[in-house]
Amino acid sequence: MDSLIAAAARALAAGDALGALKRVALRDDPPALALRGIAMAQLGEHARARELLKRAARRFGNGHEALAHARCVVAEAEVALAVRDLRGAPGTLAAAAAALDARGDRANALQARLIAVRRLLLLGRLQEAEAALSPLDDPLRGDDEASGPPALRAVAALAAAELAWRSLRTAPAQAALARAHAAAQRSGVPALQAEVAEARAALERPAARRLLPTGQEQPLRLAEVEALLASGALVVDACRRGLHGGGGTWLPLARRPLLFALARALAEAWPGDADRNALIAQAFRTRRPDETHRARLRVEIGRLRKLAAPLARVEATERGFLLVPPGQDGDAAAAVVVLVPPLDGDRASLLALLADGAAWSTSALALALGASQRTVQRALVELEAAGRVRAIGRARAQRWLAPPLAGFTTNLLLPAALPLT
Amino acid sequence: MSSSSNSSTLQSTSPARTAPAEIVREYGPFDGAERIHGVTHDGQRVWAATGERLVAFDPASGETTRTLACAADAGTAFDGKHLYQIAEARIDKIDPATGQVLASIPAPGEGRDSGLTWAEGSLWVGQYLDRKIHQIDPATGKILRTIESNRHVTGVTWVDGDLWHGTWEGDESELRRIDPASGGVLERLEMPAGTGVSGLESDGAGLLYCGGGASGKVRAVRRPRRAGT
Repeated sequence: MDSLIAAAARALAAGDALGALKRVALRDDPPALALRGIAMAQLGEHARARELLKRAARRFGNGHEALAHARCVVAEAEVALAVRDLRGAPGTLAAAAAALDARGDRANALQARLIAVRRLLLLGRLQEAEAALSPLDDPLRGDDEASGPPALRAVAALAAAELAWRSLRTAPAQAALARAHAAAQRSGVPALQAEVAEARAALERPAARRLLPTGQEQPLRLAEVEALLASGALVVDACRRGLHGGGGTWLPLARRPLLFALARALAEAWPGDADRNALIAQAFRTRRPDETHRARLRVEIGRLRKLAAPLARVEATERGFLLVPPGQDGDAAAAVVVLVPPLDGDRASLLALLADGAAWSTSALALALGASQRTVQRALVELEAAGRVRAIGRARAQRWLAPPLAGFTTNLLLPAALPLT
Repeated sequence: MSSSSNSSTLQSTSPARTAPAEIVREYGPFDGAERIHGVTHDGQRVWAATGERLVAFDPASGETTRTLACAADAGTAFDGKHLYQIAEARIDKIDPATGQVLASIPAPGEGRDSGLTWAEGSLWVGQYLDRKIHQIDPATGKILRTIESNRHVTGVTWVDGDLWHGTWEGDESELRRIDPASGGVLERLEMPAGTGVSGLESDGAGLLYCGGGASGKVRAVRRPRRAGT
C-alpha cells in the first residue's frame, strides 16, 4: 500500500468518502480502483461503484493478489444486493468466500456467505437459504467478538428470524430477533438497529383475523396464529389458502380455488351444515342454480372429501353438507376455525399469500384467488408501486414476493470488505 | 541457512542468495493502531507509522515510550536528529521531541510512495506499484537518481553500505538486498506466506525491523552476515 492509498483508506474508515475520493480520484491502479469503488458505493453511486470494483477485481485477479481480488468480489456483490440485482453468479461469491477463508480473513468470508443467504431470501428460495445459513448460524450465536463482527451477527440473526417467521415458527423468530437486537446494538450501525426494531414491531402486528361464530372477528398476532394451529383445531386458512389439521397436517388448496371456497363455506357454517344453494353460490358464483350445478357440486364435494379425508369428514345432510372435524363425536375440544387476512379485499389476500416468502407467478396467484390474471396483475402493479410487493425476473419468468421482513440495508457493511492488504 | 548445493542450484537461475527470513521477535499490535505503514530506528527506539500517529517503542521491552499525533501514511526515516514521514503526497520533517512539522517537501511519487530511509545525506523513497527507489534531496525533494526494481517496493533501508528493500505482492513478501547501481537482486529473505512487509529499517546492527501492514505488528528479522566478504 502506498501513502495516498493509506490516506484514502484512513479517510474512508472515518466516514469521509469524499476525502477518500479526492486522494485517489485520478488513479487507475487496482488498489485505487477498489477504494474509489467503495467510496462511490458509500455515496450511493451504485452503478459506478460496481464498475470500479469489477475493474479492480479483474486487475487484482491477473496477478497473484487473491485476497484483494476476493475482497473486491465481495464488495461488488454487496453493492449488487443493495440495488437488488440478483443475477450474479453464486459460484463466484462462493469461490471468493473460500479464498478468504483459506487466507484467514474470516470476517469477509462470512460476509460473502451472508450475501449469498440474503440473495436466496430475496429470491424466495427459502429452503436453499436455510441450508446455506444453518452452518453459519451456530457459531454466530455467541455474544462476543470471537463469534464474528456484531454487524454480521445481526445480519445472520435477521436472516434466521425471517426464515422462522415465514414458516410460522414465532418462538425461534423472536429468539433470533433478540439476538439481532443485541448484535445490532453492539455494531453501532443505526440502520441495522432500525431494521431490527421494525422487524420486531412487525411480529407484533395482526397477521390474520379469526372469524367467530357470532359473526365477530378477532385479530390475531403471528404467535396467536401459531398457537391456534397447534391447538388441534381444524383451521381453514384463507391467508395461505389451505387446511391445517391437528398434528401439523397441512393441505394446500392454493391451486384448487373451488375446493377451497367450498371448504371455507362449510367451515363458516360449522357446527351447522351448509345449504346446497349457498355452496353453489359461493363456489360457482351463480345465484340461479340448476341441476347441472348440483351435479357439479356433488363431484367437487367428492374431490374435497377425498383430499380432506386425513383432516375432516364431509357428510351429506338433507339441506346440503356438513363438516365434521375428527374427534368431534366425543371430544368437545375439536373445533373448526376460519382464518382470514388482516384486512379485506383482493390486495390483502394477495399480501397474505405472499407472506410465505416464496416466489409466486402471476398465474399461480390468480389461480389461488380465483381471480383473473389481469385483475391480479393490476393489483400487483399497484402494490409494487406502494412498495408492498416486489418482482423478480421478466415476462413469463417474472415472480412476485413479499418485501423481506428486514430490508437488508447493505453497503453500510462495506468497510469490512476493504479490499486492501 | 540454505545448503551449499541449494544455493548453487539457485545460482544457475538467479544470482541472488535466497533464505527464509528468520523472525526473531514480534511487537504490537499497538493501542489504536490497525496497520503499520512504516518503521524507523533512532538508535534507541523503533518508530512505527500507524496512520494518525507515530508510535515509538523500546525494542528491548516492547513498551510504547512515545506517541506523536501526525499523519503517517507510509514510510518513516530518521536522520540522526529529525524524523521524516510520508503523509499523503508529501514528506514531513518532524521534530521527534514535540511532534511539530518543521518542513514539508513533495514526495517524488506524488502519493504513490511507500518506503523511506535516510542515508548519505539523501532520502531514499520507495515507489510502491511503480517498483522504483528514488534518491532525493531532503531539502527540496528533487530526484537525484532512480533505481528500478522488479517487484513492488515497500520499505527501504541502507545498512553497512547495502541497500535493502521490502516487497509485498499478494501472499508473497521478501526482504531484498539489491545492487544500488543496477537494481539487480543480490540476496533474498523470504517472509512466511501471508506475512507482509510494509516498512523496513535496520537497527545498524544485526536486525531489520519490518512493518507488518494490517497485522499491526512490527517484526524483527535477523540480518544475515555477508557471504564471502
